[in-house]
Amino acid sequence: MSHSGGHTAKPPLKMGLAIPNSKLCMWLFLGTEIMFFTAFIGTYLVLRLGSPDWPSDVADTHINVRLGGFNTFVLIFSSYMVVVAHEAMTMKDFAKARKSLWVTFACGIVFMGVKGVEYYGKISHDIVPGHIAETEDQALRKLVNEFRESRDEMGRSLFVPGEDGEVPDLSQISVALRGELAGAAEESRKADLQAFVKLEDRLENSFLLVETDPEGHQVLSSDQARIEAARAEFSKAEKTATAANTAAKESHAAAVAKAVEEDREPPADPGIVVPVPPTIIGLSATVRRELLPLFEASHESPDHEAGHQLNPHIAGLLREMRSEENARIAAFFSVHNPHPIKYGNVFASTYFLMTGFHAIHVIVGLILFAIVLKQGPALDEKWTDFVENSGLYWHFVDLVWIFLFPLIYIIKF
Amino acid sequence: MADSHDDGHHSHPPYLIIFCVLCIFTALSWAADEFQEFIPNMGVLAVIVLAIASVKALCVMLYFMHLKFERNWKYVLLAPTFILACGLPLALLPDIGVHYYDIDVPQNSIADRVADMPEDGDAESHSPGH
Repeated sequence: MSHSGGHTAKPPLKMGLAIPNSKLCMWLFLGTEIMFFTAFIGTYLVLRLGSPDWPSDVADTHINVRLGGFNTFVLIFSSYMVVVAHEAMTMKDFAKARKSLWVTFACGIVFMGVKGVEYYGKISHDIVPGHIAETEDQALRKLVNEFRESRDEMGRSLFVPGEDGEVPDLSQISVALRGELAGAAEESRKADLQAFVKLEDRLENSFLLVETDPEGHQVLSSDQARIEAARAEFSKAEKTATAANTAAKESHAAAVAKAVEEDREPPADPGIVVPVPPTIIGLSATVRRELLPLFEASHESPDHEAGHQLNPHIAGLLREMRSEENARIAAFFSVHNPHPIKYGNVFASTYFLMTGFHAIHVIVGLILFAIVLKQGPALDEKWTDFVENSGLYWHFVDLVWIFLFPLIYIIKF
Repeated sequence: MADSHDDGHHSHPPYLIIFCVLCIFTALSWAADEFQEFIPNMGVLAVIVLAIASVKALCVMLYFMHLKFERNWKYVLLAPTFILACGLPLALLPDIGVHYYDIDVPQNSIADRVADMPEDGDAESHSPGH
């Protein structure tokens, strides 16, 4: 190793390090990997500590400490199995090495399965970067958008394109479906169309009635019977007004004719009476928060449960659309319960970035082990370095998880 | 030199014991989370679980990755990596971690931000320095 060796009669034994090149390369690669993951973890820490707030409630984050802890154990056990496998390789006990590697491989699969369960929980609650409403306004907008998307989806699926195969735009689909219902033929088709019209009505016009209470304040009512009564009253008033207007117009025309005949000044036009329609707001019009607070209390309320108590109008509407009675609608109704999470998007971004890249590394590790396992009984000492290097890689994957577990799952500020 | 390398293989580290230690430490960090009410605050919990994670990481690196038995090349290879890895978080820290300007984001309503301002009207020091 020393320079003096080079000046003696004997040539130097070997330059470089006394480890296989492949192992040196693996360590160099792991050096870059350390920087790669430190960048993610460091960025996460800086963003998290720099944000005035961070989602920490399990109801918001859907983080499950037990699943995370179980996965930590699985990875540690698999790491142990890798060293056992490597040890067996050096002892030339290849059957034992294969057995240990199979256990490691199975552990990796279990880890990915648990990860899948965790991801499914988040994705099904729409805890996805860019999808999370962070304020009540955003939550209400998201609710309306999802409601519209469900309507559009249902409309598209019910619409039967004509011979030219062209699908018109969504407003025309709605008109076409409503027209078809008017002369509907088959029972099941009729039920589908009725369900569509119901969904659209709930979204667009039969939702809330604005009334004036005895003290002169505007209040909202979601009582369908009252809304129908207001509509009926309006329609009655419209008919009465139309009859009165027609009568007034006829008598005015007669009076004018008479005045002309008698060469007098014709009487003034009596004008027409227009009844005031009831103010019925559809869901799409309720985006203005002052009209419809999304929650009973502010979501910042210290009492978390009360803080997320949905406005009964909206809660009732969502329940109705998801009920068995409306199974035809429910199949298309992909509206999430509104749930604003402050800093939820940056949380979801960092979560998926870190755990996602870690999961990719797990998959690569599984591929490395699969290559060894594919050798079957032909596994021999030529593979010892390969097993050692893939083992080093696997330990590094374990190492990253050892830090991700407390940082993501346990520490809640 | 070669001897020490070989020693590592012949009298190999007690892998099973290391595995048990790792399991115990994992259980400890789980317990720290489960019994949070006995821990004064989140800062203390963070220190506890990160210290546990560091011990676990050390066990994995020293024994499972054999760093304890490798020669000095490990320092040459890992020290620059470690220094550079610290660089990015440190570079970001003044920008975001120590925010010297208002956090002007939709999540914080104007009312909240106004409420957070000092009462004596020293608002200018809080406004972003364009």
